[in-house]
Amino acid sequence: MKNEVILCVDDEETSLLLRKPVLEQAGYEVMVAASAMQALEVLSSRKIDLLLTDYLMPGQTGTELARAAKNICPELPVILLSGVTELPPDMENVDLFVSKVEGPQSMCEKVAAVLSACHKQESASL
Amino acid sequence: MNANERVNVLIVGKRADKVARYDVIVREVSDNVFLAASAEEALQCLLQIDITVVLLDGASSERDAFNTANAIRQHSSLQKTPIIFVLDAPLTDLGQYKDYRRGAVDFISAPVVPELLRNKVTIFTDLQHKARQVETLTGELDILAGAVIVSDADGRIEFWNTGAETLYGWGREEVLGRYLDQVVPITFPMTSKEVLSTVISDGQWEGTVRRQNKGGQEVTVAIRKILQRSDGAGAIVEMGQDISAQLQAEEALRQSERLAGIGRLAGVIAHEINNPLEAIANALFLVRSHPSLKGEAKHFARIAEKEVARIQHITQQTLSFYRESPAPISVSIPTILDDVLDLQARRLEINQIVVEKKYRNDMAIAAFPAELKQVFLNLIGNATQAMVQGGRLRISIRESMDYSSSRRGVRVSICDTGSGIQPQEAKRLFEPFFTTKPNNGTGLGLWVSKGIIEKYQGTIRFRSLRLYDQYVTSFSVFIPGAVAAPSLARAASSA
Repeated sequence: MKNEVILCVDDEETSLLLRKPVLEQAGYEVMVAASAMQALEVLSSRKIDLLLTDYLMPGQTGTELARAAKNICPELPVILLSGVTELPPDMENVDLFVSKVEGPQSMCEKVAAVLSACHKQESASL
Repeated sequence: MNANERVNVLIVGKRADKVARYDVIVREVSDNVFLAASAEEALQCLLQIDITVVLLDGASSERDAFNTANAIRQHSSLQKTPIIFVLDAPLTDLGQYKDYRRGAVDFISAPVVPELLRNKVTIFTDLQHKARQVETLTGELDILAGAVIVSDADGRIEFWNTGAETLYGWGREEVLGRYLDQVVPITFPMTSKEVLSTVISDGQWEGTVRRQNKGGQEVTVAIRKILQRSDGAGAIVEMGQDISAQLQAEEALRQSERLAGIGRLAGVIAHEINNPLEAIANALFLVRSHPSLKGEAKHFARIAEKEVARIQHITQQTLSFYRESPAPISVSIPTILDDVLDLQARRLEINQIVVEKKYRNDMAIAAFPAELKQVFLNLIGNATQAMVQGGRLRISIRESMDYSSSRRGVRVSICDTGSGIQPQEAKRLFEPFFTTKPNNGTGLGLWVSKGIIEKYQGTIRFRSLRLYDQYVTSFSVFIPGAVAAPSLARAASSA
């Protein structure tokens, strides 16, 4: 079976550099984008299984990206990964909020949980 | 001209021709003229209509006129209504009207000179209006001026208005003639005597004082005292405004601004710390599992990872209020508490703490699980840390009612036999950065917990009692809107 593809978005280069191999070790194929605009370009050019985005970024925020992404692919699961302490108000297009301090293991588990929930939905609707 | 300022004249007399003549005369200076042929009719009219002046015809029977006046004066509400007698002859027996001294009385001789009668009616009308104005002004003064007290040069109370009654709790009758500094002594910033001597020497004094009211409570009053020397002896007029509530409101505002500032600061710090922290944690995760890492280096990487996990735990517990899901979900309270006990299992064991659980198993509420977990982790963590020499931790979950709002809900009690809460600590327990564990706590746990519970419109309370030589401390959390959820309860008991 082909690896699931995660699009990982963050404006901090170091964060992306380190998050990518962690997710790869967990068995995913990882695409990266440094802004919402770059992410939308990737989304319209190839199939993505899950969008994992930072919240506070220059230009569009993670939640604004989530809205735009669901316009392109309504079924795309979105996880908002952030260091903020309060939930952003416009969470309606986000499937799960994960705090950055939960650590790599927890992040991978939650990605897996959201993906498996999506598969269940897909097979239920088939 | 409003209704109170209308001039209503009542003419009382048996002889219709005379009454009609007076009617013609006074009509020029009045808005309404009412006529009555007997004392009964006059009273009926007086009790229904606000009469400015009564004109009594005594020309035919002086006795009748005085009897009518007597009947009028017997009514408490009519004692001040002005009465003008029309008499045939000049009055000789003064004794006859000594009883009318309380109200305004005048006489006019028949035959009546129209201009004179009109003048008398106008004088009484003006007098009545002025009296009413004074009455209204006094009422307004009571409201505007707050507490007004007049005392003589020795400090004996001569006047005590409604505002003073309200502010100090003492009734007018209770204090008139007593010494002001005995009734409401000033406790701060100087004594009543010092204030009094300043007023006598400088003519006035102004400042904010603390005084005891009748109930013994302290009130903060902004007062201004002025020495009046109109009648030689001198009197001191004092005007006071209660500013206790204003001061309390200002203090509450300062406090909430401080808390809001801390909240913002926490948010900024959390964000700035959490971002690099995630990178470090990911880097260490990758280093630890890297195939090139051997022996001692691997050991050090593990230590680093463990220490970073500690920092993550602290920032998550203290600085973050985030929720796992965008909407509240049904949360089983027993499951949450068991999860927290699992997290604390090792420490409970080390401290030799016996855990007693009294759960009603089917309690669930709509909530964000991470928030509730944070609250109970704080409370159970505190209890555990308070029992380093061992003890008993009793946790109970039951359905309950908040009597102040009569809402139903779930109550969780966490009771320990630890070191207790000292009275001086109790007041500040829920303040941010207040801690009794300088080496071990951030002082944010209970503050955060209270914030979370209040968001659910719940309450968090505590009691700490000394029983023989040990303390029993109990924290009680009430969250409204709880429902029984059998399916979740089963899930909890099978877990």
